[in-house]
Amino acid sequence: MADSLTTQATDLAAAKMAAVNEFIMHHVADSHEWAPFGKAIALPSFLSVHGLMLVIGATILVMTFGLIYRHKDPVPRGLTCLLEMFVLLVRNQIAMPFLGEKDGRRMAPLFCSFFFFILCLNLMSITPLFPAATANINVTGALALVTLGFMFIGGMVKNGVLGFFKAFTPHGVPWPLLILLAPLEFLGVFIKAAALAIRLFANMLAGHIVIFALISLLVMFGFAALPVLALVVLVFFLELLVAFLQAFIFTLLSAIFIGQLYHPEH
Amino acid sequence: MVGSIAAVGAGLAAIGAGLGIGLIGYSMLQGMARQPEMAPKLMVNMLIAAALVEGVALFALVICFMGVK
Repeated sequence: MADSLTTQATDLAAAKMAAVNEFIMHHVADSHEWAPFGKAIALPSFLSVHGLMLVIGATILVMTFGLIYRHKDPVPRGLTCLLEMFVLLVRNQIAMPFLGEKDGRRMAPLFCSFFFFILCLNLMSITPLFPAATANINVTGALALVTLGFMFIGGMVKNGVLGFFKAFTPHGVPWPLLILLAPLEFLGVFIKAAALAIRLFANMLAGHIVIFALISLLVMFGFAALPVLALVVLVFFLELLVAFLQAFIFTLLSAIFIGQLYHPEH
Repeated sequence: MVGSIAAVGAGLAAIGAGLGIGLIGYSMLQGMARQPEMAPKLMVNMLIAAALVEGVALFALVICFMGVK
């Protein structure tokens, strides 16, 4: 009797666990339906829900900078002030120190695009209605590919093809070691870009899984787990910090990596 | 006991990253306390170092995710 009761309890726990797992996976995985207000909207086959988030994020950015941002005012006010603060942060703290004065100014639009796009997607992902597009390795991989393209093509245009490959041979190293070192340095370029993609992806995915797992404790243990909601709010604010931090880190590391190949040590 | 050995791996990765980021934060605070005017420069460098440490931990985390399957 007692034995069958324990089996029943274990079965129930296992069923709840499976439901929780599916709940979490459903919320972080890519799919072809979007359920903003409880009712699922089926999306066409060429547009997944994360793709839709990218389109919405880009639209929000274009609207923000096209309509709300007013640079004609003699004294910037309100949201214009905030946006200018971020642009200045990206240009003065990220682009110019790592790429030099002239290149920094020229490349600032790229880094501003990185920063605002990732920030917008991250902030959207912790808003209800919107799934997390940056918690998808394909999205972050594509962003890192842009960085990789600038590292390669930008480096070749800037230093010439020969000069570009000379950056992979460190000075003051005996030549037998170079046979070992040069391929490693070359491989490092790809590893840097992959690390860039995985960092953003894993940070966002892990954050969302933590939030959903904490909420799932309510399903597992009922009202006894109600105090966990306070923890959820705490983690939510941590996610808010991470949203800004990851956008900043991605931009900063892109600038460092691109700068390394633009201005290799002599 | 039910579960995957990947969970142990995730915990071990967290230990390493915690040690690393703790050391970075410790020296950043010490540097900032000694020379407050250097704080912005230290902050950027701390974030870079923290991101690199965290990257390794997240690599481990992703591998643990894959191990769960």
